[in-house]
Amino acid sequence: MDGSRTLEQEMLEIDEVISRYKGKHGELLGILEESQILNEHKFLSEDALNHVALRTGVPLSRVYNVVTFYSFFNLKPQGKHTVTVCRGTACHTKGSRTLLDDLGLILNCKKELDEGEQFFTTPDKQFTVTTVACFGQCALAPVIAIDGIIYSNVTTSKLQMLVRRISKVRKNHENH
Amino acid sequence: MNTTMVNIKINGDNHLAPLNATILDACKRAGIRIPTLCYLEDVSKNASCAVCVVEVKGAKSLLRSCTACVYEGMEIATNSARIRDARKTSVELLLANHPKDCLSCLRNQNCELQSLASDLGVKEERYVRTKKIEKCDTSSIAIHRDPNKCILCGRCISVCQNVQTVSAIGLSGRGIKSKISTYMEKGLGNVACTYCGQCALVCPTGAIVERDDTDSVFEEMSNPDKYVIVQTAPAIRVGIGEAMGMDPGSLVTGKMVAGLRKLGFKKVFDTQFTADLTILEEGYELINRIKNNGKLPMITSCSPGWIKFAEHFFPDLLGHLSSCKSPQQMFGAVAKTYYAAKMEIDPRKIVVVSVMPCTAKKYEARRPEMSGAFDYWKDKRAWSSEDAFYDVDYVLTTRELARMFKETGITFSSLPVEEFDNPLGASTGAAVIFGATGGVMEAAMRTAYEVITGNPLADINFTAVRGMEGIKEAEVDLNGMKIKIAAAHTLKNARTLMEQIEKGESPYAFIEVMTCPGGCLGGGGQPIPTTWETRRKRAESIYAEDVNKPLRKSHENPNVAALYSEFLKEPLGEMSHHLLHTSYQQRGLLVWKTNGAEKKELKTPHHA
Repeated sequence: MDGSRTLEQEMLEIDEVISRYKGKHGELLGILEESQILNEHKFLSEDALNHVALRTGVPLSRVYNVVTFYSFFNLKPQGKHTVTVCRGTACHTKGSRTLLDDLGLILNCKKELDEGEQFFTTPDKQFTVTTVACFGQCALAPVIAIDGIIYSNVTTSKLQMLVRRISKVRKNHENH
Repeated sequence: MNTTMVNIKINGDNHLAPLNATILDACKRAGIRIPTLCYLEDVSKNASCAVCVVEVKGAKSLLRSCTACVYEGMEIATNSARIRDARKTSVELLLANHPKDCLSCLRNQNCELQSLASDLGVKEERYVRTKKIEKCDTSSIAIHRDPNKCILCGRCISVCQNVQTVSAIGLSGRGIKSKISTYMEKGLGNVACTYCGQCALVCPTGAIVERDDTDSVFEEMSNPDKYVIVQTAPAIRVGIGEAMGMDPGSLVTGKMVAGLRKLGFKKVFDTQFTADLTILEEGYELINRIKNNGKLPMITSCSPGWIKFAEHFFPDLLGHLSSCKSPQQMFGAVAKTYYAAKMEIDPRKIVVVSVMPCTAKKYEARRPEMSGAFDYWKDKRAWSSEDAFYDVDYVLTTRELARMFKETGITFSSLPVEEFDNPLGASTGAAVIFGATGGVMEAAMRTAYEVITGNPLADINFTAVRGMEGIKEAEVDLNGMKIKIAAAHTLKNARTLMEQIEKGESPYAFIEVMTCPGGCLGGGGQPIPTTWETRRKRAESIYAEDVNKPLRKSHENPNVAALYSEFLKEPLGEMSHHLLHTSYQQRGLLVWKTNGAEKKELKTPHHA
């Protein structure tokens, strides 16, 4: 991971994004979207939001309005991998709540989960767990997605296996 | 200009209405009242509350009359079982998430939600609460917010964004999590908020209110060691009667003075005394700048919301602001120096209470530099920082004073008419009109003209700067030297003039800026509701009081003249410099960074 990139560099990159969007319709959304993508942890830091507001002249409250309205925007650092648990009706009746609880235990984030957080990220920034209203894969319920790949008929043991596999890949990667 | 009229039917009767008028306006013209909640004339049309719904023949659902427009042949029903049921349900749903602590709410009996619930016949709590309890925002010294009482009507956002162009607050989140927020929930005290209080003035409930200082003032008055005196701003005499149940715009100067004495203030003084003083200082400052190629245009500095606005949004143009303190602050400085010495009272024991039409004045009084009187005394008396005091100790809004009157059982209608105390109670007509937009400009011109030309003014009424137009301008001939002047009210109009200056295109020598619509008489601390109609009525009373005054030019105020001869010596002199003038801070927009450690003052509400 590129840990050497300073805040200053990130702001310069955001400046570049802003210059490309200048005067375009709906510039704020585009700027925020690209600014989030270029962040190492895929989120909009307060510094980034301040910077966007000051450079574009959009009021801070307006920027906050936009980033809190669209669920796409993250105001907290995201993990390297995202596990999305479907909380739609079909998945719920097939036990997706249990899967979410399991993830809390497996990833040691039960506390945040119990406090009703929308999503949580492990302290090592490896995993972010989040929920979605429906994937449209109800016949395969319960479903989860890991980094965009959908897994069907998920059970606790299957979930454990999937998470362990990602962790192992990471460990191997680190050992080399 | 012919407006196309269309034929419509309201509740079966034929009416004419202008094409493209809203159903609400058309009904209003026809004398039919439709209850509204989020709608506020000239401020907001968010169509969020669904209270103003009407039935239109052929429409699939009920229409919101505040936004739906009339067309030829439209048939409208404003009162059917279906409509009554829908309106009531809308209010019931809002009430589900509203804390029912009306008895201890500052807006009790002056709440649009409360009266609507009563008007629409809400008799039971049919729905359960679905929202979680939010923390209150008490981070600012002037305005407190309780999101739990908020019904998301959006009026505060409209007024903050569109009337003031400040955008200190906005909507955040979505769906059930929607709420009115400051940037990153930092709180009003930590963002670029001017504390103008227009949000509190338009809030239909108690979600945004002035910080209540009535208890502190009562406490000071019951302390026998303290000498508690009061000053009242020009706009209070045309507002307090209204807040006490009289007609909007009632002029009640003498009754107000009597009431304040009954309340227990040792002396009842007038901010208008220092308004006259301000005119002398500011007038001479203007003359000085014109003669010595100083920074022009010079802009008035009486309105603390405007000052904070300039500090946040135009930090590079602060040199244009007059260095004069506002009349409120001049009063505090004079009361705790000149008056204290004259009456041989220990200034540490004097408590100066201001009654202002303004929430930003609460903040102004607590600006750290506003302790000129203490600085004056500290070397003379060898006082330490433990003795330090502010020039003005407490600021009450018109609404708070009304509450204090009510709490002490003072009935306004039966009060006698009394006079202000001397010497800090004498004022001229020029000082009265400080309360209306354009008034400071007019007062300054009355004095500047006579000082510069040495001739008496033929007509002292500068009517060109009166009235409710956003930016008013005039040209004044000062002995052959023509200067252009302008008066703006609302920060949106102030912004326009500032952008002119920024571009180097400002044709003016002197600009008056008042933060609130209509000037102080429409201030954020004034009675609720404040509409354009009430503002006009208050303005009429202000100008009536001006005409009634035997003296109408600030430089003719004999007590101000005495203050100069006995104490200050001359306008812009050494003493004035220390006591009556101030400096400004470049604040910028990232306020929480310059506030030092971010203040975490969000509290759980007492009704949680």
